[in-house]
Amino acid sequence: MAAFLNFSPAGGDQSEGAGRGNPFFRSLLAMLEGFGAIVRKDLRLEVRSGESTVALVSLSILILVVMVLAFGPGGARRAEVAAAALWIALIFAGTLGATRALLAERESGCIRGLLLSPVEPATIYAAKLAVALIFMAEAGVAVLVVLVLFFNLEFGGGLLRLIPVALLGAVGLAALCTLLATISGRVRAGAMLLPVLVVPLFTPALIAGSKASAAVLAGQPLSAVATWLKLLCAFDVLFVAAGYLLFEHVILED
Amino acid sequence: MKGYLSVTLATTSCLAMLAALFMVFVYVPTEVDQGIVQRIFYFHLPCAWVAFLAFGIVAIAGALYLWLGHKIWDELGYAAAELGMVFCTLVLVTGSIWAKPIWGTWWTWDSRLTTTFILWLLYGGYLLLRAFAGDSDEIARFAAVLGIVGVLDVPVIIISVRLWRTIHPAVLLTRQGEHGLQDPRMVATLLVSLGAFTIMFIWLLWLRLTTLRLRTRVAMLRRNLALLEAGAYR
Repeated sequence: MAAFLNFSPAGGDQSEGAGRGNPFFRSLLAMLEGFGAIVRKDLRLEVRSGESTVALVSLSILILVVMVLAFGPGGARRAEVAAAALWIALIFAGTLGATRALLAERESGCIRGLLLSPVEPATIYAAKLAVALIFMAEAGVAVLVVLVLFFNLEFGGGLLRLIPVALLGAVGLAALCTLLATISGRVRAGAMLLPVLVVPLFTPALIAGSKASAAVLAGQPLSAVATWLKLLCAFDVLFVAAGYLLFEHVILED
Repeated sequence: MKGYLSVTLATTSCLAMLAALFMVFVYVPTEVDQGIVQRIFYFHLPCAWVAFLAFGIVAIAGALYLWLGHKIWDELGYAAAELGMVFCTLVLVTGSIWAKPIWGTWWTWDSRLTTTFILWLLYGGYLLLRAFAGDSDEIARFAAVLGIVGVLDVPVIIISVRLWRTIHPAVLLTRQGEHGLQDPRMVATLLVSLGAFTIMFIWLLWLRLTTLRLRTRVAMLRRNLALLEAGAYR
């Protein structure tokens, strides 16, 4: 972990040696380098402060507590309620996580430095998406563990099959949130605006994700929810591509 | 020239709307099964058509703004979003009024209703962004991006909602489309109504666009004046 987080300029020498003469390869390497640098920076920041992790994990646990108090831990519809709790926690943790990842840049004008650095805006988007996804995954792991305890689920195949479903949902949510949090971070009352913008756009993935999660938690195999998984994949591809292409228009300042 | 266009649009949409009203209330025969309430359909469908048209314009105007960067595309997108929201609300309201006597409920999570409602939420968010954020080139870009993303989402929303309802079978199988417009007079009324709403939409869009253009111009003049005054004091 420490080696991974230790950013050194050694990457620059490697790229010059490997990619000389091939412009495509060289630009790809430059992109990866910028991507890695931003992700490492954000993760190092997180490892040292731990702010986002604490906020996200406690928020998700609190949402689960509310769900258990409202619906009760047992009952015939346990799988469905657990799936609903998972997705509600994921949405709120996701919007918060993406906001955190971008807010850190906005404080003390760090974003201007990033924009001045020789990194494409699209690369910044990819890096921020990755960081938001890592935050979401952290919260997701916490949610899964607490979910099992609160709803008396089995640690087993059903839970393992839930991982790809939640992951596919998290990719789409992170893609959407990273793009929209950049917008909402720039306007008045932005924190209030972000869920209003994200949730309607996320509904297709929400329907697919919560249906697939409920089925999987009820013991069905992944093949039974293939349609929903395909829909989630399509959503992810669509919004990662849209964010990658459109990010330039929301990050650049006048 | 501009004045003529506005007057022509206003007169045409007025006449067309009167004709549509006459046809809906006098000319068209009453539907046998549903009775008088079915006549709201001749307003419901045109509203839906205009709402979807408006949302399409939002996305196209957004893309054109990002591509060409001229302020008029931004204003067109804003005007279309506002009108789309109005007509989308009308679709939901007229649909509810029709659904209460026919389906026995104001609202049901049928796939078309759900899709329309999600669209309504989407563009509500779009207008909120514009209302909160005020008016600048930056906001224009944000709104353009949001409009494009919103329209990209529409096919996925339609597919997901349809799948969602097929897995949970719909309680109500009746759909407006399946009642059929057996009488040719019904088809004629619907077409006239569609035309009337489309012309009215174009007229309203034109009015709103003119207002927004004026607003931009006033803002520019104010800025110039302030600059001039600042120069004079120096």
